[in-house]
Amino acid sequence: MIFAKELGDTLRGALADDGRVVLLGEDIADPYGGAFKVTRGLSTAFPARVRTTPISEGAIAGISAGLALAGYRPIAEVMFGDFLTLMFDQVVNHITKYQTMYAGQATCPVIIRAATGGHRGYGPTHSQSLEKHFLGVPHLRVVAASLYHDPRVVFADFLGRDEPVLYVEHKLLYPQHLALPVNGMVGDLIASSSGMLPTVRLSAVPREDCTVSVLAYGYQAHLAAKVVERLAMEEEIFAELIVPAQIAPMDWEPVLSSVASTGSLVTVEEGADGWSWGAEAASVVSRGLFGRLRRPVDVVASSPTIIPSSKTKEAAVLVGSAQIEAAIRRAS
Amino acid sequence: MNPVLVPTNDVNSEHGILVMWFAEDGAEVEKDELLAEVETSKAVLEVLAPVAGVLLHAAAKGTEVPLSQPIAQLFPDSAARDAFVAAQVAAPVISGPRATVKAQQRAAELGVDLGMLGLDRLITVKDVEAAVAPVATPADLPAPLPGAPGRQRILIIGAALGATQVLDILAGSTTQQAVAIVDDDATRWGAFVHGVPVVGGSGLLSDLFGAGAFDAAVIAIGRSPAVRARFRALCDAAGVPLANAIDPTAKIATDVTIGRGNIVCAFCHIATGVQVGDNNFFSAYNSFDHHSVIGSDNASGPSVVTSGKVTIGSRIRFGTGIYIEPDVVIGDDAAIASGAVIVSSVPAEHAVKTKIVTTTVVPLRR
Repeated sequence: MIFAKELGDTLRGALADDGRVVLLGEDIADPYGGAFKVTRGLSTAFPARVRTTPISEGAIAGISAGLALAGYRPIAEVMFGDFLTLMFDQVVNHITKYQTMYAGQATCPVIIRAATGGHRGYGPTHSQSLEKHFLGVPHLRVVAASLYHDPRVVFADFLGRDEPVLYVEHKLLYPQHLALPVNGMVGDLIASSSGMLPTVRLSAVPREDCTVSVLAYGYQAHLAAKVVERLAMEEEIFAELIVPAQIAPMDWEPVLSSVASTGSLVTVEEGADGWSWGAEAASVVSRGLFGRLRRPVDVVASSPTIIPSSKTKEAAVLVGSAQIEAAIRRAS
Repeated sequence: MNPVLVPTNDVNSEHGILVMWFAEDGAEVEKDELLAEVETSKAVLEVLAPVAGVLLHAAAKGTEVPLSQPIAQLFPDSAARDAFVAAQVAAPVISGPRATVKAQQRAAELGVDLGMLGLDRLITVKDVEAAVAPVATPADLPAPLPGAPGRQRILIIGAALGATQVLDILAGSTTQQAVAIVDDDATRWGAFVHGVPVVGGSGLLSDLFGAGAFDAAVIAIGRSPAVRARFRALCDAAGVPLANAIDPTAKIATDVTIGRGNIVCAFCHIATGVQVGDNNFFSAYNSFDHHSVIGSDNASGPSVVTSGKVTIGSRIRFGTGIYIEPDVVIGDDAAIASGAVIVSSVPAEHAVKTKIVTTTVVPLRR
């Protein structure tokens, strides 16, 4: 159940089930099969509908927009999410606007898949988590891959709706095994979920015994789950981890109901600190639960600077287990 | 057991395809013998045996393997390989009750069998404590000693080795006398430590104090700042005052302020102008030089030596043999390893680690 392979199988299923699905992106065709091997084998099976493009994220966005307007279901791969910036204009001014501008007479359901995140020593322009710049763009859904969400469910949702979506895939998730809830458990953690694209909640003990809520997505959710489990086993510091798939617009209900019980919230994201997802969470939670918080919301994010290539220096900039653990200890 | 890893520095590939095994599962192989080929997006990689041994495949031909994981293991002989395989098969079967580390410790203290709780979820301290019926204090437990007139009667919390250190300090005192010990480990109840009775658990604190059985308490726990802090809170809640226990050989200079509940062992030096908070445990040969400021609930090993004007926060655990330079500030909840020489400040909730350089003893060359 390796995530990259499951995601590839999901795309294979989408291509097989729906003749409108088209994959495009840099180097996604065989034999290379994409920088992270997600699309390996797909161009051999569907040569007409899996196309390698020139190195131009602008062109990929434009072609995808055109295909979507013409009734296709384009799924565009962005080899490095850092270059989503080259798509920004077309996402903000075109892809997300058509449906409302033309009163529903046109739809533009582009799915953009972007490999994001660091901890690989790829340096300042191939390691970033830039999704925060796309949060709050009207009519754009931003969804984050995690080990707790089945990509089949996620893509069934994408393809079942007419809205554009940005799907961010942290690079370090690709080689990991999925950890989907089975019989209400993920490993040794109690799991429950709610919503269409479910928000997954993980904790070592029932919520009533948790003294802090932790909100995280993507790879950081995986790191946070390990910290939550270790702190529970070794020190009886009990936290409830909340992992949404869709990070914008957010369904805040699971967060608010958890924090109403624990009285304390830590948010975790790998993007640069300030003007961030966690800052929005802090705002929403302080509005909704003013007077019921035991302490201020703690926003854990990476240092607002460039990401160094040296792995040692990179580790000092990017959020890792140590920062998550320190924050949970403070907030418990 | 030696892992067989795929030799690659290809950062673009997380996994590869195991194309071919050249050595059978269970085969005896030589060092550097070709074992397998793994194909990544960039190259076909040959995997050689890192050492000689008996092979155990960890992946089948044609499957995808993460490059960070071993594709096989090598064992010194087939017996070791068989034992490993058997252990792997047996491992999932022996899933006993899951309990937190603290719950396991508490269960050991209280003599609770975790398997008997019948819980199929994570067992916590709360569960363990709920499982034991409230222990009725046996009527035949010893009573506190009466104490000599004119001396402050001390109750010691904790009957382990820390208690013997405190008793040794009080043995040299003309103003204080230990009259009783409490400990939450019921197996210690009724025993005598250097002639002082263990009269029961910490739940008795309030009643004994109310009955006038002692005048003040000393927390004789040298290891854990967190436990010291917990018992201090318990004493505060029960209205029990803490007393200092200061060895007569300690040098306390002029113009020193010391709170309450501190244990100062033999040959400590607290220099002029130093301020000490409450409930610290200073082992022997600690020296805090002039105008240093020390918080509360700290625990130190022997020979922790500061220079002047050092600031030490609260709930800090010090190892043995530590030197601290002037003006250094050590934040709350820090932990300092033995042998550290601290030349700059340590933030709160940080650990100072040291590299241990062991001395090698060799025979003389003739």
